[in-house]
Amino acid sequence: MTQVPMEHDHHEAGLHGHDVHDAHHDHPKELGHHWDNLNQQFEAGKLGMWLFLATEILLFGGLFCGYAIWRGNHPDIFAYGSQFLSVKWGAINTCVLLLSSMTMAMGVTMAQRGNKPGLIICLVLTLLGAFGFLGIKYVEYSHKFHEGLLPGIAFYEKPSDSHIWVEIEEQAGDQQETSIATDVAESKEEAELQMARADLPVMPAAEATTNEPAAIGPSGLNQSRVVQEEETYRVFYKEGRIAAQEDQAAMAEYAEHPEEAMRELEKHPLQDPDRPPNAQKFFTIYFLMTGLHGIHVVVGVIVILWLIYLTFRGRFSPHYYTPVDCGGLYWHVVDLIWIFLFPLFYLI
Amino acid sequence: MITLVADIIQAEALGTLGATLAGGATYWMPEQASEVAPKIDWLFEFINVICYIFFGAILILTVGFSIAYRRRKRVHQDKSATHHTALEVTWTIVPLLIVIVMFYMGMTGYMYLDTVPENAYEVRVNGQVWSWTFQHPNGAVEGNQVTLPMDRPVQFIMTSSDVLHAVFIPAFRVKNDVVPGRYRTLWFTATKPGEYQLMCAEYCGKGHSDMLARVFVLPEEEFQIEIARLAQEYMDLPTEALGYYAADKLYPRCASCHTVNGDPGTGPSFKGLWERTQAGEQKFTNGATLSQLQKQGDGFYDPAMGGVQNYLRESILYPQKLINEGYGPVMPSFKGQLKERQVDALIMMIRELETYFEPDGSFKPQPENTTPAEGAAGTEEATTPKQDGGSPEA
Amino acid sequence: MTTIPVPPSQPVTPELARDNYLTYTRGIWSWLFTLDHKRIGVMYLCGVLSMFFVGGIFALLVRTQLLTPEGAVFNDNANYNRAFTLHGAIMVFLVIIPSVPAALGNFVLPIMLGAKDVAFPRLNLFSFWLWMAGAVFFILVLVNVDGGLDTGWTFYTPYSTTDGMAFGGVLWAVIGVFILGFSSIFTGMNFIVTIHRLRPPGMTWFRMPLFLWALYATALIQVLATPVLGITVALLFMERLFGMGFFNPALGGDPVLYQHFFWFYSHPAVYIMILPAMGIISELISVHSHKHIFGYRFIAFSSIAIAVFGFLVWGHHMFTSGQSQLINVIFSAITFSVSIPSAIKVFNWLATLYRGSISLNTPMLYALGFIVIFAIGGLTGLHLGTLATDIHLHDTYFVVAHFHYVMMGSALIAMIGGMHHWWPKMTGRMYNENWGRFGFALVFIGFNVTFFTQFALGSQGMPRRYATYNGMVLTDLYHLYHVISTIGSYILALGFFVTAGYLLHSIFAGKRAPDNPWGGRSLEWQCTSPPPHDNFKEAPTVGDCYDYSVLEWDESQQGYKWREDIERPGNPHVSGKDGHA
Repeated sequence: MTQVPMEHDHHEAGLHGHDVHDAHHDHPKELGHHWDNLNQQFEAGKLGMWLFLATEILLFGGLFCGYAIWRGNHPDIFAYGSQFLSVKWGAINTCVLLLSSMTMAMGVTMAQRGNKPGLIICLVLTLLGAFGFLGIKYVEYSHKFHEGLLPGIAFYEKPSDSHIWVEIEEQAGDQQETSIATDVAESKEEAELQMARADLPVMPAAEATTNEPAAIGPSGLNQSRVVQEEETYRVFYKEGRIAAQEDQAAMAEYAEHPEEAMRELEKHPLQDPDRPPNAQKFFTIYFLMTGLHGIHVVVGVIVILWLIYLTFRGRFSPHYYTPVDCGGLYWHVVDLIWIFLFPLFYLI
Repeated sequence: MITLVADIIQAEALGTLGATLAGGATYWMPEQASEVAPKIDWLFEFINVICYIFFGAILILTVGFSIAYRRRKRVHQDKSATHHTALEVTWTIVPLLIVIVMFYMGMTGYMYLDTVPENAYEVRVNGQVWSWTFQHPNGAVEGNQVTLPMDRPVQFIMTSSDVLHAVFIPAFRVKNDVVPGRYRTLWFTATKPGEYQLMCAEYCGKGHSDMLARVFVLPEEEFQIEIARLAQEYMDLPTEALGYYAADKLYPRCASCHTVNGDPGTGPSFKGLWERTQAGEQKFTNGATLSQLQKQGDGFYDPAMGGVQNYLRESILYPQKLINEGYGPVMPSFKGQLKERQVDALIMMIRELETYFEPDGSFKPQPENTTPAEGAAGTEEATTPKQDGGSPEA
Repeated sequence: MTTIPVPPSQPVTPELARDNYLTYTRGIWSWLFTLDHKRIGVMYLCGVLSMFFVGGIFALLVRTQLLTPEGAVFNDNANYNRAFTLHGAIMVFLVIIPSVPAALGNFVLPIMLGAKDVAFPRLNLFSFWLWMAGAVFFILVLVNVDGGLDTGWTFYTPYSTTDGMAFGGVLWAVIGVFILGFSSIFTGMNFIVTIHRLRPPGMTWFRMPLFLWALYATALIQVLATPVLGITVALLFMERLFGMGFFNPALGGDPVLYQHFFWFYSHPAVYIMILPAMGIISELISVHSHKHIFGYRFIAFSSIAIAVFGFLVWGHHMFTSGQSQLINVIFSAITFSVSIPSAIKVFNWLATLYRGSISLNTPMLYALGFIVIFAIGGLTGLHLGTLATDIHLHDTYFVVAHFHYVMMGSALIAMIGGMHHWWPKMTGRMYNENWGRFGFALVFIGFNVTFFTQFALGSQGMPRRYATYNGMVLTDLYHLYHVISTIGSYILALGFFVTAGYLLHSIFAGKRAPDNPWGGRSLEWQCTSPPPHDNFKEAPTVGDCYDYSVLEWDESQQGYKWREDIERPGNPHVSGKDGHA
């Protein structure tokens, strides 16, 4: 990509200090003792960085494979799940990341030219882009968390207002002819007991699994132990008995504004009759992939901060800017992965 | 043990020559008891012969060269060739051809093993930690043993309630993993009456090595009689014989976790379980104790109202509901695996444990004079005392 | 770790006293924070060997347990399960994978190549520290944090991800595996860049010793396969901790998907173990028979072929797991194709022995032992690659015996052979040759008694990972085989103790090693024993590394030296003889 001057800078003093073994007194201080010249070192650094980036791509490759397999098997889940993502925020984030990639590339050019102020400005702009991306991601994530659009089993955990869920349970119980009275205050005890007695628990969470044989296994004969645990332990006790007793105050509050609370609840996908089985799989892979990408952005922030520090220390010159170049490559790959994530989750 | 060694040496000598011992067992392979076993063994011996030839050649050359060309001078000036392309291509192509033949034979054998013939006798197999359930088409259910017809294709339709298991019957040369969430199949045609070993071959935890079952192969007529008997087995038993039935036929499936002599296990021992439940001593991981629950609600757990039976039945069918403190949530549900009458039988067994087990935990058979004749029905009116609460109807 | 004192009064060469890597700087910190590839290699070696000791103790516990059908050691099957799991996990992740590349490779690679160090010395040190960190997690599991680890080294789901089934130690263990994975990746990256960018003038690709080809192929696998292991164990971690449902059928996941992910790494990992071992054997066979390696290019390319095919055969671990018929057939076919390059290597080694001058010293005995053991391990792979017979043999002791023949009998034996080969170079001391041969005899006999028995045990139907085997139809037969196998394992253990004994003794009381005790021609035999800190003052120029005609015996040093009438490498004017490769 760029040519590095082959000649060493003989005026760069301070040969000691960098390593104990510098037998060659014509070595510039950036040059490791085992290299012949800066160009060789630069090329090796770049090769190493490319190899590292290959491993990064492969790390994500596992998840992309998982995505492809899941999407191939259950396109309906992905069609359903993607409607909960905000294309607007996703697009803005893509632009932010692309711009930061541009400033990073400009930074590398500045470093090649030895333009220290320009390099610092570019790095700071890139850093701002990274923080912007993370900020928008935070907004998106917290929105999902609030709505209960969570990965894995947490998708079936109720939102924090458990008192409302007891209500839903009781209504569901009604439909299944377990004769639960409608009056909240008086029937609660009885409802719990009925539920405790019933062979199959009646619950939105249970419904998520019992209505879908594929999710449990090929036949009723082999209910998964995990599902059972969900059905019986959590449903009966945590929600049915203990939570209801502890949430007396919340129950009272619910009794005052039942409609408002119910309206809020109906927005949750658990209440959506059109929800495909195992809709949580979309959010599982969404959080895993964007989460892993987010971790990489955080690492990128640290790298850029370190580059800014080194620039202030005056470590870079047109002869030696390998860290800037490698940091830039890393940042472009982080950007590239997002370029794939955005359409895979938000658009198609 | 010395005779065993002699047997093995003899078997090896015969086995490598292609001859077989009684039952088709060789040094390498166990008894052949299925239609496919001789085919697999033939292929195995075929590969063996190729291996013997190659290994013999490699061994002779290695040892021979080491002796023939052992170091004689400190410095060795050798002018022989450093490569020989024709030779090297030869020893690339020849093994390639051999493995192509091997691959083809393995593939056809596998396709045969994996293609279930039509109208096979279907047995539904369920694996769960750490026991097997076999369900026959006529409704008979067997635990940790299965009775099968001879000279007729048998298909296992298998699934797991919890983790991975694998059905492995060495004498039939068949194996397949049992995976939760999907059906897997396995088929074979048994060719000899007898008793064979079935084992779990996929690691499944603490009781993995106890997850064994016996396969009983019977000639067709005997099989028809036996399978009809099995379908009615516990239905026809008088109630007082139910406890013996549970201790003999059902308890072995509990035995990998629950002892009857008070020893610790994966689950609480059955010894004293009835008394503990009556007194409400159980403490649960959710913080409750049974004595509290006994006083609550409509008396579902109240010993005076059949609460002991209720608790035990619930623990068998919904084991995750109340988990005893100090134990993990490991027990699989037996709902659908056990019929109501079998659950009753287990509860009876737990209530009067000493009647059915010796102090060391071994089974105490029913005294001769009360053994009911096979198929003797009509004695069911005899209800046992203390069954006041009645077993709950599903 | 302490430095080995070298009395200044009796230096073998004038340089030794002044500059060798062991005495260059002193004190424990100069070791722990060294950037010298040789010291890092030695530290890896110490770490790997201590972990080998720990894993070996567990192996002996496992074997002793199986002395009786009811289990002779553990009352609780869970303890047996912990023991075999720790044996497997420690041996695979902490011993065999880093043994040759990280320990011997680190020491030998730059010197053999003619470089002063690996490309990224700091990264090299970092990957050693990652290895240490990973080992710490395994030690936590070893002391049963969260109940310890009992999943088997494969961490199969859903067992490993279900609360109440596997113990919680699996979380700690997978963190350890994740970290060790990165240690392995960084080592691989380092080696690739070193071989690409630090070859001195004259060291063309086809002049590189075959060990370097093998390390290069290994490094490719490390870099390309290990990230998938990283993401797999990360998913396992998330699944267990947060119920992500990736591999849980109750949440629409698939337990078999985990096996695909896992074996996509772990099958190539088998080649991470065996390829560098084969590289060592190529060196040993040639050097100790003083004969040019036969078919250099075939051996070099077969290493690359194995690395490439190694990525395409993972499905043969899952013939009974629930793959479609078609996929099983395809994987069986590709599996057979991987046997061809292995066969090529064996035949080439035999051809190298032909008309050689074979010295039956300890490293060569290990190399010859390797050929015999690897032949058995490789040939029994045919039974397992053949679909119809694999169905019967899958998950039995036949498989256990097969992979011990390959991983332990081959990879580890080669590593020990290589250790003996480079021991004079590493420590500057010679071990006692007779004790060495005795140790080899014990190891070889013990190994075969232990594991050959297990072939028959497995084909007779004994499944692996069984804590007890009472109450079976063939219990008596299994008992006999288990007893023989256990006796063999004791002989094997004794062999290793003997080996450890004379090697330790040699450090303190061994004879001084000459620069070139075996008559090796590759570059590491041209620097002093032990090598100086910088390996080479100037990048040396290189010739044909298997041409032994340039050496002659030097009585005064009790080693080999360059013939007076031929110019040494290190001199830019190379002799005309070295032109071809």
